[in-house]
Formats: sequence, C-alpha cells, structure tokens
Amino acid sequence: METILELKQVVKRFGSLTAVNHIDLKIKRGEKVVIVGPSGSGKSTLLRTMNFLETIDSGEILFEKQPCGYITRGGNLVLDSQKKLCALRSEIGMVFQQFNLFPHMTVLENVMEGQITVLNKSKAEAKETAYKMLEKVGLPDRSSVYPITLSGGQMQRVAIARALAMKPKMMLFDEPTSALDPELVGEVFDTIRSLADEGMTMVIVTHNMGFAREVADTVIFMEQGDFIAQGTPHEFFSADEIHPRISEFLDKLL
Amino acid sequence: MTILVNRFGKGGALLASLFLLFALLASPAVSSAGGESDAILKEARDALALGHIDQAQVLFAQVPAPGPDGDEGEFVYSRMQLARLFFSTKNMSKARASAEEITAVYPDNAEAKNFIASVDRSVRPEWRQVVDDCIRFLPSLLKGASMTLILVFFTMIVSPIGGLLIALGKLSKTQPFSGISWFIIWFFRGTPLLLQLFFIYYGLPAIGITLSPLASALIGLGINYSAYLAEIIRAGILSIDHGQTEAAKAIGMTYSQTMRRVIIPQTYKRIIPPFANEFIALIKDTALVSTIAMVELMRAADQMFNAYFNITVLVLAAFIYLIFTTAFTLLFEKIEYKVGVYERR
Repeated sequence: METILELKQVVKRFGSLTAVNHIDLKIKRGEKVVIVGPSGSGKSTLLRTMNFLETIDSGEILFEKQPCGYITRGGNLVLDSQKKLCALRSEIGMVFQQFNLFPHMTVLENVMEGQITVLNKSKAEAKETAYKMLEKVGLPDRSSVYPITLSGGQMQRVAIARALAMKPKMMLFDEPTSALDPELVGEVFDTIRSLADEGMTMVIVTHNMGFAREVADTVIFMEQGDFIAQGTPHEFFSADEIHPRISEFLDKLL
Repeated sequence: MTILVNRFGKGGALLASLFLLFALLASPAVSSAGGESDAILKEARDALALGHIDQAQVLFAQVPAPGPDGDEGEFVYSRMQLARLFFSTKNMSKARASAEEITAVYPDNAEAKNFIASVDRSVRPEWRQVVDDCIRFLPSLLKGASMTLILVFFTMIVSPIGGLLIALGKLSKTQPFSGISWFIIWFFRGTPLLLQLFFIYYGLPAIGITLSPLASALIGLGINYSAYLAEIIRAGILSIDHGQTEAAKAIGMTYSQTMRRVIIPQTYKRIIPPFANEFIALIKDTALVSTIAMVELMRAADQMFNAYFNITVLVLAAFIYLIFTTAFTLLFEKIEYKVGVYERR
C-alpha cells in the first residue's frame, strides 16, 4: 500500500515545552491509525499538525509523497500560501472533540457549506451530497433543524457528515467521543466503524481502548511528545510484550 | 308751521295739518321712549355706583332695542355694560349673548365683535391652547426631525461598514492596517464629537477643503460612530469560540470565507444590544450638528423657543426624540430576536 501521509522528524514546541518531539510516521492509504496516551502527551497536537491547524517548528510533512504546507524562508519554516493550505485541508477531513458545528446554520447547511464555499459546487449538487452524507451517519430526518436541538452524539455525527461531504482522502478524529455522555459514545463509534469498513484512511486520537483494539491497524502509544510504542492491536495489547508504561496507563484507565 | 302752510298752499295746508296732527300724536310716544331709556340708564348707573350689580343688570337689560329711529348709542351702551358686568362675574354665556344682541342689530359693531372674540378666547380650555401651539410648532419641528432621521439613517448604514473594516484592520497582524485602525479608534474615540465636527466644518477649509454643513455632519458622525462600533464588532468577533475558526479552516475555508460565512454571522446576536445602545446615543448626538449650521430637530426647537418663549415647543421636541428612541428600541429588540433564532431549542 502506498503512503498517503508521511511525517518526517516533526517537532512542535510551545515555549519551552516540546509537544511533538522528532516524530516519524507513515500512514498508508486505507490504514487506521489510533493514537493513545495520557493527557498532555502531544497526541492532539500531532494530529493537528497533519492538517496544518498547528504549525510545526521543524521537520517535513508529505501528502501523497509531495512535501507540503511549508516553505523555507531564511532557514525557518513558514506556512505556505493560504490557497495551497486550503486546498490541502479540504482533502483531509477533521472531526473535533467539541464538534464545532456552525450553530447559525441548519444541519443541512452545515453539511452543504464547505461544498459551496470551498468546492464551488452548485446548491443542488451540494444538497444532494449533504443528504447522502446525513443518511450515512443516520440522520436524514434532522436536516432542517439547528444544531442546538441535537444531542451530543447527533452533533458529532453531523460533524462527521460535514467532513465527509468534502470527499476527503483521509480523516482525522480528535477525541471524537470525549465530550459525549457514555450512552452516546456507541452511535459515534458505529459511524466511524462503518467508515473504516469502507476503507477510509483515518487517524484517531482516543482514550477508548476497546475501540482502538477493534478498529485499528496500528496503535501508537504517545507520551511527552514521543512514540513509546507502536504496533498492531494484537502486539500492543498482548500481555507478554506490553510496555511497562502502557500497562501502567491501561491500569489507570480501568 | 306757517311756513309750511304758505309753501303748500291750501291743499298743502291740509296735508300739513294732518302731518302735524300725526306728529303731535306720535311725538309723546317717541320722546317718552327716549326719555324712558335715559331714565333707565340713569337708574342703572346709580345702582352700579352703589354696587347693586344685580339690579344694574336687570335695568340695563330693560333698555329697549331701538325702533326705526331709536337711539343706537343708548342701546349699544346698555348691552355692552351688561356684557361687561356678566363678564366680570364670569358668566360668559350671558356676556356673549348680550354682545350678540348688539351684533344682531348692528353686525358691523366693532366693539361688540371684539368683545365676543375675547370672550371666546377666555373660555377656550387650556388644552386647546396647547393644541394650537402644537399645530403652530409641529411643521418646523417635523422638518427638523426629518433631518435628524436622515443623519441617523445615513450613520446607521455607514458606521457598521466602517466599523467592520476598522475592526478587521485592528484584528489583523499586518501593518499598516492594524496601525491605521488603532489610530482611527484612538483619535475619534478620544476627542469630543463636537470638536471633530468643528474641525471638519470650520477647520478643513483652511487646507482648501470646504464642505457643506450636511456633508460635514455626515462625515463627522460616520467616522465617529465607525470608531465606536469597530470596538463592539471586534469584541463580537473575539467572543466567538476559536473552534468555529478551526472547523471552518479544517474544511478548507479561507480567512475571508471564514469571517464572512461563519464568524461574523454569529456575532450579530451579541453585537446587536450594544449597537442599539450606540444608535440611541446617535439619535441624541445628532443634536450636536446644530452647532455647524445644520437645522435638525434640536436646532428647530431652539429657534422657536427663542422666538416664542413657549415651553410647549421643548416638550414637543422631547416627545419626538422619545418616539424615535422608542421605535429604535423596539426595532432592535425585534432584530435581536430574529438573529438569535438558532439559539432557541
């Protein structure tokens, strides 16, 4: 399988804190990568560097084998032109912990918005795609309401539909169920799982080990900006090979 | 009598004697009528002198209406005296009736007519007086008010646009936009509007720019309010959750698309209450342009107050301002409800 996204020696610092420390990562087309780790380990920051919401201090990001997102100016990395960044971001869908639906737009308008303003699609075409995506996430009947009337789980599914409507080549999930009541987690994971089954490339940051084990091709344990361990779920969770830090972390979760 | 006989001859003598007879018969009646009026008037004056007003009234009323050759003077005098007596005892209807007796016989009698008019004026209720004042002042006040509205509406359209540009400038990280915005806010918020208007109207001609009072007023109000609204808009933009910007970015929106489609529409609900505040202040601030030769509501009221010293004109002006501010308050409540519709479950 070809590599869709590659990080080379990526470093991100916040003042004196190194949130992402010389990370190398290759994500293959169709691969499901799940990143786990304690709070403040840098996993969300790492995820956000992948669609340039977080700028890196050094390193290189390659999307479909092309270095992208940055140009070097006077020895420093500088973000590329807005036009190029926007084009890149429209190909990489992202789902946030806090959903971040546009509250002033109806559910349908939320899913249509990017298609119209970014992809310049006609209203009719955007609407058709939007309905398809809402159906996919199981919310075809809530298209005309405002997000405030939805439950958290429904909001997150709309957010997934909004990202999918851009026909992205890969999806990033930043703790998609952390803001949800426990009984609503299932419906969101179901949606993500069905997406995984369709072969979507995804990077998921989560605390939910069960889901990681179930859906991941690769599980990465991150701590203090470093990858402590990475492997298949089987390797990762099998008791004899488990890294002491990971077992400690898993114990805390239980 | 002999002369008559001589002149008319025999037949004439007959006629003359007949006339004489008639005159002799009639004359006591006429002279007695004249004498009667005199007597009544004398009696009435005496009564009046003694302070017997009721009696005087009765007597004056007895002076008869003049016959074919009756005495106009005595009749008019008696009825006018009567009318004045009634007037002095505040019996307006009887006073008016007495004067009308005169005008019934002598429609052109100026004294009676003036008296009737002054009776009418004195019986007119106070509210009629106020209504008449209102009718007198309103046309000029409304003309001034329409100018006030022109100033307000123009500023209401221009200043949000100017304010948005200044706010975006101040939020931007690129010079010179943020510097220019900072300067505009610093200067126009930091000096009195009155001074700015003076500067534009009286000061700019010194560097060769001469503006009409209206143009000066519109520019002054426009920039001043843009500076105030800019800070409200900036606060509105900053108050929107950063996640909204990230979500818009994540689907590939540019900065301007994000602002236009996602961020600014969400600020409406938050900036409308402070906008309403500013626009209500604006309605009253337009009074300041009267200092640069603009005739708006306040100036119109001031001019008429100085001409008539009538407090009604100021009360009216206050009412017009209150009508405007009330209408704006209601309008903005409605808009606020409308733009916030997505926040109701």
